[in-house]
Amino acid sequence: MTVQIELNNIDKHYGTFHALKGVSLAIEKGSFVALVGPSGCGKSTLLRSIAGLESITSGSLRIAGETMTGVPPRKRDVAMVFQSYALYPHMTVEENLTYSLRLHGVHKPEAKARAAEVAATTGLSALLHRYPRELSGGQRQRVAMGRAIIRNPKAFLFDEPLSNLDAALRVHMRKEIRALHDRLGATSVYVTHDQVEAMTMADHVVVMRDGCIEQQGAPLELYDRPVSRFVAGFIGSPAMNFIDAVVAEDGRTAVLQNTDGGTVPLPSPLEPGRSIVVGLRPEHLRVVEHQGTFQITVGAIESTGSTTFISSADDLITLVQADRTSIAAGDRVSLAIPEIHVHVFDPETGLRL
Amino acid sequence: MSRFFNSLRDGVGFDLVLVGAALLFLLALAGLPLLYNVLMSFQQVDMFTLGTLIRPWAGFTNYVDVVRQPEFWLVARNTLIFVFASMAGQFVIGFSLALFFAQKFPGAATIRGLFLVSWVMPGLVVGAIWSWILAGDFGVLNTILKSLGIIQETVFWKSDPNYSIWAVVIANIWLGTAFNMLLLAVGLAAIPRDLYEAAELDGANAFQRFWTITLPMMRSTIGAVLSLGLIGTLQQFDLFPAITEGGPANTSSVAGYWSWQMSFQLYDFAKGATISVMMFLLVLFASVIYVRSTRHEVRG
Repeated sequence: MTVQIELNNIDKHYGTFHALKGVSLAIEKGSFVALVGPSGCGKSTLLRSIAGLESITSGSLRIAGETMTGVPPRKRDVAMVFQSYALYPHMTVEENLTYSLRLHGVHKPEAKARAAEVAATTGLSALLHRYPRELSGGQRQRVAMGRAIIRNPKAFLFDEPLSNLDAALRVHMRKEIRALHDRLGATSVYVTHDQVEAMTMADHVVVMRDGCIEQQGAPLELYDRPVSRFVAGFIGSPAMNFIDAVVAEDGRTAVLQNTDGGTVPLPSPLEPGRSIVVGLRPEHLRVVEHQGTFQITVGAIESTGSTTFISSADDLITLVQADRTSIAAGDRVSLAIPEIHVHVFDPETGLRL
Repeated sequence: MSRFFNSLRDGVGFDLVLVGAALLFLLALAGLPLLYNVLMSFQQVDMFTLGTLIRPWAGFTNYVDVVRQPEFWLVARNTLIFVFASMAGQFVIGFSLALFFAQKFPGAATIRGLFLVSWVMPGLVVGAIWSWILAGDFGVLNTILKSLGIIQETVFWKSDPNYSIWAVVIANIWLGTAFNMLLLAVGLAAIPRDLYEAAELDGANAFQRFWTITLPMMRSTIGAVLSLGLIGTLQQFDLFPAITEGGPANTSSVAGYWSWQMSFQLYDFAKGATISVMMFLLVLFASVIYVRSTRHEVRG
């Protein structure tokens, strides 16, 4: 695999605000990379820096082996799909699609043929002569995609492209974008604040926080072995439960605070008496009759039919189970968790132990 | 009866009262004078019939007389020069300034605000200032042009028949540029930034972005600015008495000023009214274009 986009130690300052702090990232050709993080973490700035819409303060950026310092966006040969779609309102769908071709001097019949081709792949064939204002949100989204595809660029950049769509359409377009990516063999960088989108679409997820890359890797790798409490809390839905605890005398169990001396097993021995934070994913906790290692008082029970969410009365713990339950609010239940699913973090640094 | 008063306070009656008040105002202060003016242009008016409404009918005699006036074609030519040169100057300079101040640099908004000073100043004051600037013997414009080597001889801007209309045009461009800039700046600010970013990524250079994004997106704003500019320049009066008084030999007189001269200096009210009706038709034409251009909004 060759590297298509290479970011080396990128810094970006806006006045006194340090937006990107020494970001290094290698994006392989043909891969689908998601940049994910809370708002203000620098993910959009990073994407716009790749596009050339933001200048970088220091560091180097290479696209397909060429250094991009000082290269204007129009010469970078990357296409971007904006959150607002940024369709040209005074042009028809066809004119929107062929805009870049016309700028590059492609003859009209050829441009029209290419537009027809792209419209067929994106399901816009019947809409070529409409104006953007006459299209629905999903259709506008497709035009924005088509406008990117028609140029056959070195990389596709997506800036939260689905956030203006309703939930059902979002799930549908998620699959469509991924399928399109596979069919075109394209290199895609996808910015989102929605970890579900990142997990389901990307081959490689980059979690960002405060202008730094917190962790990157395959989606399930991030889920299974988050390097920090931040990543652990960000990846997975509902979010991981974090409970303050102290390592017991034997070094192999942790005594949970605020649970009347309940315990969980530790995946690896730790020094007795040490303060830690244990992370327990809601989907890994099991309600058991016997051999529970700690107990909670049930506060609320919410069922969607397929899954049941149970939260403790003190809101400290949430768990999810697939089958229906006869448990009612106010019940005292025993919980257990296999030791391999227990994540342990340092309370000070938040790093995985 | 009480239902009637209720509807006046809270209902259709209230709406009608509001609309009625505005309409009454327009009718009394714009509609009636306009109709009276049109009527007068078809009548014989002299000092003795000034106070009456019904005067001897003149048909199109006044219109024929106005066209037959020896200065008619000179004034028509001057009006065209004044309107189109002023509008072109105001628009081009105003648009350039609006584009310039749309760039992000420290103080851009503040300096743009200062430009509005020219719009705030009364036309007579602007006229007086430009009268000094343009003065042939002591004017600062001649001094600058001479020291730059652009002209050798003194140019008598206000009294040379070749330049007199341009003297007023220059002052009018200065007066109207800020208004053009302001409206165009608002139009520019309404174009979403990401359109430019998308165009940039699609490969458009600065000139192509202006031609394919800015201009088409500004269509309705430009239509409005040009129509308002046409109305504004046709209405322009203050600069003429302050700078050239229409002279020398009517070489800087335009329709509006001529109409005023007819009515209030020569007391030929019929001809004055006739000229203003002719102008009114022109303004009406501009208003139709303006209304049409604002109807064709393409944003969204």
